[in-house]
Amino acid sequence: MKVLLIEDEKELSGSITEYMQKENYLCEAVLTYEDAIEKINLYEYDCIIVDINLPDGSGLNVIRALKKLKSETGIIIISARNSVDDKISGLEIGADDYLTKPFHLPELNARIKSIIRRRSFGGTNEIIFNDIRILPEQMMVSVNDQTIILTKKEYDLLIFFISNKDRVLTKESIAEHLWGDEMDMADSFDFIYTHIKNLRKKIMEKGGEDYIRTIYGMGYKFTAAAG
Amino acid sequence: MKLLTRTSRSYLLISVMVFIVSGLIFFKLLHNIFEKQLDDTLFEEKLLIEQTINDSDSVPDFRSVFGHMIDITILNTPRHKTEYIRDTLMYDSDLGSFATFRHLFVENTSEEMKGYTINIYKPLRDSEKLIAEIVIAVALVFIFLLFLLVWVNYFISRRVWIPFYRTITNLGMYEINQEKPLTLTKSDIHEFNLLNNALEKMSKKIRQDYINLKEFNENAAHELLTPIAIIKSKLELLIQREDLDEQQLQLISTVFDATTRMSKLNQGLLLISKIENNQFGQNEEIILTQILDKTLEHFEEMIDHLGIVVTKNYYHPSKIFMNRTLAEILITNLVSNAIRHNMPGGKIDIFVFPESFSISNTGQPLKTDPAHLFERFRKSENNPDSVGLGLSIVQKIANLYRMKASYACEEGIHVLKIFF
Repeated sequence: MKVLLIEDEKELSGSITEYMQKENYLCEAVLTYEDAIEKINLYEYDCIIVDINLPDGSGLNVIRALKKLKSETGIIIISARNSVDDKISGLEIGADDYLTKPFHLPELNARIKSIIRRRSFGGTNEIIFNDIRILPEQMMVSVNDQTIILTKKEYDLLIFFISNKDRVLTKESIAEHLWGDEMDMADSFDFIYTHIKNLRKKIMEKGGEDYIRTIYGMGYKFTAAAG
Repeated sequence: MKLLTRTSRSYLLISVMVFIVSGLIFFKLLHNIFEKQLDDTLFEEKLLIEQTINDSDSVPDFRSVFGHMIDITILNTPRHKTEYIRDTLMYDSDLGSFATFRHLFVENTSEEMKGYTINIYKPLRDSEKLIAEIVIAVALVFIFLLFLLVWVNYFISRRVWIPFYRTITNLGMYEINQEKPLTLTKSDIHEFNLLNNALEKMSKKIRQDYINLKEFNENAAHELLTPIAIIKSKLELLIQREDLDEQQLQLISTVFDATTRMSKLNQGLLLISKIENNQFGQNEEIILTQILDKTLEHFEEMIDHLGIVVTKNYYHPSKIFMNRTLAEILITNLVSNAIRHNMPGGKIDIFVFPESFSISNTGQPLKTDPAHLFERFRKSENNPDSVGLGLSIVQKIANLYRMKASYACEEGIHVLKIFF
């Protein structure tokens, strides 16, 4: 998988690259509009993450250039400008997704995976994690070949976990993934626990393993490794 | 008191005083003139009588000559010359009552060395009547003139002050955050132009300060975004490390929470400055109850988790013409407020009427002054972690659409009401 990150803020770019490397992506990072144009003309990427406000141009123009090249690349906009207009114009010219800074790295990761999944025509869309099998198009989940019925939130939670397997996910990032960031509930993420408990129960009922670990004071981790 | 009333009143008062004083003087003068004339007549008569007394011993009936009471007495002994003239009150047979007369008394000795006294009484009523008539005529003219002047003054003043009132109206309607600076209509009166210029200059400066401050807020919030994003991303990388012990995780968790709060705060401030700058797009017809339902669904898990019972009382679909995003933020903030300040097993009642809607919730009584509830950074002591911008944002949005947000507390139920 090749991912191009176009972000002028070096530190942020560094964080994203570091997070992506664990996913075995080949993540290239450029800091300017000019470099971005050069890269997209030379190489094919599976996904491009582009900041709108670049020092020497607009990220929107990078998207336009990509569309001119008839590229099939998935595009995610990341923008500091919490602007509805940017979002609309970005999605109109062909971006697949939009994230507002500051965002959670697991969130970006999950969005990249989702886009890549949708774009991989050859091969299957299945998500497999040990004994868990997910067919995203049908929103079907099975454990040990037995279908389990999940609520929308539990399903989203499972996908988010598997997209970020072996990572520590904070309660906050989980809440934001499931409910969006307009919910100003910084003080009470307890209710997430109910969903995690239910998901865990449903997987284990069908003989699945308990992959969800609680990380003290921080959040949860979905992992097959014995903890 | 209106300036015009005040000036008119003073004008009228002074005019009346001048009128009374000058009236008295005028009356006195007129009286003196008439008295002088009367006295001259009396002395002329006296001379004539004295002449007659000197010329002959007989005294003719002067009364029939002059037509008023004359009393002449011839004495045998000489008399010293005495003469006085005065007003006297006596019975007037013509009138049948007492009246004032001018009385000339003369006592003297004639050429034949005989004493005589002359009393001439002339009634004052004719001259008094004349004086009264003149005074009334003059007074009428004066009063007419007075009212005419006051009315003209009032009328002119009212016209003259029109630009002033226009300026006042414009000032009253001016809002600092509107797009155009304050412009006042030119007047042909120098003083009003001076006032207008001073006001325009002042408002321009205030406006500039306001814009600068707003830009500063916006820029500050904007510039904070990147550092916050960096801190968050680095923290997220940090917690992925396998070698962290519990104590370190605890520390990181605290930093994480603080960063989250800072981030929320920043988002809130950015949102407020965007609302203030009116940077939201097109308005559309919003069906309030739909947004309420959507928001409640969004919060369903949290509501269930806290065991809160929500009752919806929709008496009207209530269509509002506003920006969809802002409508959603408004409702989300109100609902999240009602959940956050609720208690386990509490209640939320939602009422939607044609002209208003309200969201009420059970909860701890307010510890802060309800008057400051909608101000920025007002947070309850029950929830020290909240950012304290939610209701401030609610009010900003309400103000933008000329709606009114109000808070009331009745028997432990907190009611937040929005009037369209």
